[in-house]
Amino acid sequence: MSKLALTLTINGERHEILTEPHRTLLDVLRADLGLTGTKENCLEAECGVCTVLLDGAAVNACILLAAQCQGRAVLTIEGLARHGDLHPLQRAFIDHGAVQCGYCIPGMILSAQAYLQEHPSPTEDDVRAALAGNLCRCTGYQKIAEAVLAVARDRSARR
Amino acid sequence: MSFEYHEPTSLAEAVALGARFGDDGRFLAGGTDLIIQMHRGKLRPRHVVSLHRVSGLDAIDANGAVHVGALVTHRALERFPAFRGPLRALVEGAEVVGGHQVRNVGTVGGNIVNASPAADVVPVLLTLDASVTCLGPGGERTLRLEDFLIGSGRTARRPDELLTGVRFAGLAPQSATAFLKAGRRRAMEISVVCVAGRLTLDASGERCLEARIALGAVAPRTLRAHEAERFLEHRALTAETLREAAELAVAACQPISDVRASARYRRLLVETLVPRVLARCVERVREQAS
Repeated sequence: MSKLALTLTINGERHEILTEPHRTLLDVLRADLGLTGTKENCLEAECGVCTVLLDGAAVNACILLAAQCQGRAVLTIEGLARHGDLHPLQRAFIDHGAVQCGYCIPGMILSAQAYLQEHPSPTEDDVRAALAGNLCRCTGYQKIAEAVLAVARDRSARR
Repeated sequence: MSFEYHEPTSLAEAVALGARFGDDGRFLAGGTDLIIQMHRGKLRPRHVVSLHRVSGLDAIDANGAVHVGALVTHRALERFPAFRGPLRALVEGAEVVGGHQVRNVGTVGGNIVNASPAADVVPVLLTLDASVTCLGPGGERTLRLEDFLIGSGRTARRPDELLTGVRFAGLAPQSATAFLKAGRRRAMEISVVCVAGRLTLDASGERCLEARIALGAVAPRTLRAHEAERFLEHRALTAETLREAAELAVAACQPISDVRASARYRRLLVETLVPRVLARCVERVREQAS
């Protein structure tokens, strides 16, 4: 089986990757690059724990072939904090006690990030709809929604 | 799962690869169905032909007749400004497909070719009398979507053909569409039943000139409720006629009982959702007129 030579920009850094065509973006992130912040669970795009941003749009890394990402930019949870400072969403999730077991949180935060980029002033219902593709089996949705809303409010206040 | 991966850069090259591999090959659009079926071992293509480098398949053209390229994502459909008016059912169908992550990647062409009886955009396209274009080594052919869908996971597409897009005529004046889906929860749910409708009313807004009703997840393929449609045409749209149309729609269904719902419950949903969808169409035609 021939390997593919791929160039992916991951968290702002260019990576040259040699991999088999069947491997998913999730395989490459976790196994090849050690970026285990992106979680693995259902592998069928049902749960959202593997959510990353591909050219800014939320996608399920578990059902996306790495080959489909050739030449594109991937943002994972590891790339969200800048210079050691937590991203406002990360800070808000901690401050609001939105993290329980934590497994869904990287995906939650990235879905929220993609959504807030395009919808700066959401309602709570909007936030819940935006996060519908991310399941939290601790069922901590209320605090998650509050954390996302707090970030949106804070940003509007600064504008 | 192991296969050779191909990235043609033109339609001609893609079709040539499709013809070369036949049943051993699969076209990859968004992959939100294909990759899952390959993970499950349900499909084991030896060649995957990605369509990403093929340009011209991801555009929507709505000047006059509407053409939606096969690689248009559900997200693009949701956001297309011209679909906010009488064609709103397209948005309503697209926005309940999976989560944002799936809608950002999954395509209209893939949704059609996958031929799930529970597909959400397909019934809407059926109410628009849509046709699909397939390109093969022998050239292009156009089929009515209704004829293209044969059964669960089965279409009239030949293995060496690529579905390039779907097309339908713009709506007549006094027309509107609506789509409703029933699931056990409001998001991330495969339809238990979904219903799409289109109505064209006369100038008074009371009488039906043309009706289309399509039903999802009640038969091996997405169905048109032809008898219900014929019954409605040239009738005044009262609560009573909508109810009678719903009964005819129920008679067209062949639902199964499965983990999501019993056949009986699915029939009850059709009986409830058909009048609701039609009433919504009537309401929308009147809103547009005022």
